[in-house]
Amino acid sequence: MNELIAPNLPYDMMPRARAAIADMHLQQFVGRATHLKDEQRKNVFGDDFGHDGYDALRDLAANTKQHALDHLDELLERFIERAQATGSIIHAATDAREACGIALDIAARHGAKTCVKSKSMLTEEIGLVDVFTKAGIETVETDLGEFILQIDNDAPSHIVTPMIHKDRASAARSFVRVLGSRYTEDPTELTMIAREHMRELYRRADLGISGANFLLADEGTAVICTNEGNFDLSVGGPPVHIVFVGIEKLLRGARDLAPFLKLLARSGTGQPLTVYTSFVKGPRRSTDASGPKEVHIILVDAGRTGILASEKRELLRCIRCGACLNACPVYRKVGGHTYGSVYSGPIGAVLTPELNRGSPREEGLANYPDLPRASSLCGACLEACPVKIDIPKFLLHARAELRDRSLSPTSESRALALWRTLAQRPMLFRMAMRAARMHARMLGTHDGGIAWIRKAPGPAAGWTSSRDLGIATEQPFRAWFTEHSAQRGSS
Amino acid sequence: MRVALFTTCLAEALAPRTLKACVLVLEHCGVSVEVPTAQTCCGQPLLSNGLPLQARELARRMIAIFAEFDAVVTPSGSCCSIVRERFVDLFEPTDPDRAAASALAAKTFEFVEFLQVKLHVDPTALAARGGAAVMPAFTCHDACHLRGIHRHGSTAPFLAASGCNMRELPDMTQCCGFGGMFSTQFAEVSTALGLEKLAHVASTECSTLVASDTGCAAHLAGLAHREGVTLRVISPAEALAERLGVLAREDFP
Repeated sequence: MNELIAPNLPYDMMPRARAAIADMHLQQFVGRATHLKDEQRKNVFGDDFGHDGYDALRDLAANTKQHALDHLDELLERFIERAQATGSIIHAATDAREACGIALDIAARHGAKTCVKSKSMLTEEIGLVDVFTKAGIETVETDLGEFILQIDNDAPSHIVTPMIHKDRASAARSFVRVLGSRYTEDPTELTMIAREHMRELYRRADLGISGANFLLADEGTAVICTNEGNFDLSVGGPPVHIVFVGIEKLLRGARDLAPFLKLLARSGTGQPLTVYTSFVKGPRRSTDASGPKEVHIILVDAGRTGILASEKRELLRCIRCGACLNACPVYRKVGGHTYGSVYSGPIGAVLTPELNRGSPREEGLANYPDLPRASSLCGACLEACPVKIDIPKFLLHARAELRDRSLSPTSESRALALWRTLAQRPMLFRMAMRAARMHARMLGTHDGGIAWIRKAPGPAAGWTSSRDLGIATEQPFRAWFTEHSAQRGSS
Repeated sequence: MRVALFTTCLAEALAPRTLKACVLVLEHCGVSVEVPTAQTCCGQPLLSNGLPLQARELARRMIAIFAEFDAVVTPSGSCCSIVRERFVDLFEPTDPDRAAASALAAKTFEFVEFLQVKLHVDPTALAARGGAAVMPAFTCHDACHLRGIHRHGSTAPFLAASGCNMRELPDMTQCCGFGGMFSTQFAEVSTALGLEKLAHVASTECSTLVASDTGCAAHLAGLAHREGVTLRVISPAEALAERLGVLAREDFP
């Protein structure tokens, strides 16, 4: 797998964060795109539902998905039964290796040589393309963004907009290099070039692969939302289709689907609906003009049941819309690859350690100790989340686990312990404050009633790496208040 | 109604004028505040950095210290949100202090919120009462934690209605990058966000920024000072106090 999203563990976030901050191009691309998408999300919800309507819709979706997760065992059984009744072949995989193995078997049985694949985060998670390529099966990403990343040997850095960290010019160069096309930065022309290349692959392909956004238990149907129509081509042409899907994607049925369709595209891109909303309900019937003769659905656990059994079940509500990434100030600055995982941004920061707990279930945070700390806890993610996952709360939980397992710096722990001791002793607390003020007054540069410290000692040193520390030199509040109250009392 | 001022450690340490302004504006509105002497820190630094049990000890102190008051007012949007949103969950359902934490949450208000929601102060009436005739232009950045208490974006309109000369800050909703210890743990990211905020402030051509949390204010003022940018960063309480003429406007170099 690409080292960008599957780095050596434990993963140290700092070098990539620093490199990203120094990369003005990256910040320009990511900053501009995320701001735009975030703005579009707010506008479309405001226009279509109003503030209260938006909030009510999010509540409905959150409760619906939570209910589904709380009854996941029943829903799984029902889905399997109904999907089998439609003629789909259902498989269950506990981890990435099993999931890829099942798919390889299917491919081998059909002698598949060329596979067209539509966008799926789960297949990124399990490293499917690598496994298939190594097995000698030409596997092509058909989503335009993913296709460009694939020919560049790059990796997605956003759940919905995988090549958010790249610009058109670099795509144009790659097209010249790999496809031998003429240089153009015109998006329509680029799309046409890609389309021409893809059409040939669709004709040749003997296997189609996709993910799924939702599974409908009542109907035994998989729902796939795309914008480019590439899914429909990859399911329409090849004789065999495999759907990879996480078990948390289950809904009771079509009766519960509407709020999610309303929320998904609006949250992700500000569109009222994805351009294509496709339903896969079994293989081609005699009356169908096209479609695969065989449909396989691989239900993948890969850490989900562990989360389901924990107090973090709520995380599984995530519908992978990317709204929290677009809203996140840190993501906007550092981009997705800094998170060192398939899932980046706020949801990635809480989900990645949980999905990577493995066995024993303790590894997770030890492998990603920086993720929960890489947040200013601004709450923009929670505000943007269509299923109201309290991401800040889970960041706090993860930080507590880091501290409990001694995975955060001891210098910090010492400073916090000192703070705790002082804060319980008001006299001592105020003495310490007075000492700090005197210190500042003596050592600081006086300017506008403020003593400015340029280089602070100890735990405050990080602060003065880029900012001055300003401490007001006027009369402290308590002394002023005592005088003020006495004056008021006597007047 | 007995009203306590929840001063916050940061404002006491860095921004006494903010606290003075709170007292003076509230008195102007007919409310005398008390300042419980035993208060220190609400525990946010401990809670935000993985020490919820230790934060709970400080939450218990807060509960006891403010028990006798009918309302608790604080100039910090962030500390206010911790008391309002996170205190209750620090206590087990069987802990008697859980109910007390809910009670404290219900009576704790951010300064502007208290004026608007609890005192029902009509800002236009404040404007009509006179005060400083000529006001410099201010722009305002709301603390992100006001989101949680549904007050994000409420400060500037209130100040404008009360007669402050407000200019809209572009991209106000994006965090300034402070984030408590995040500002030192991820100093480069924090700084980059702060500089972006300062660029937006500069685009308004205001030399005074109103920031509704002492932490954000210290971060942005400190960055501006390091960068050699002339910027005065004040709290909403100071802006109002200056507007009402109860606190002399300091001439800023």
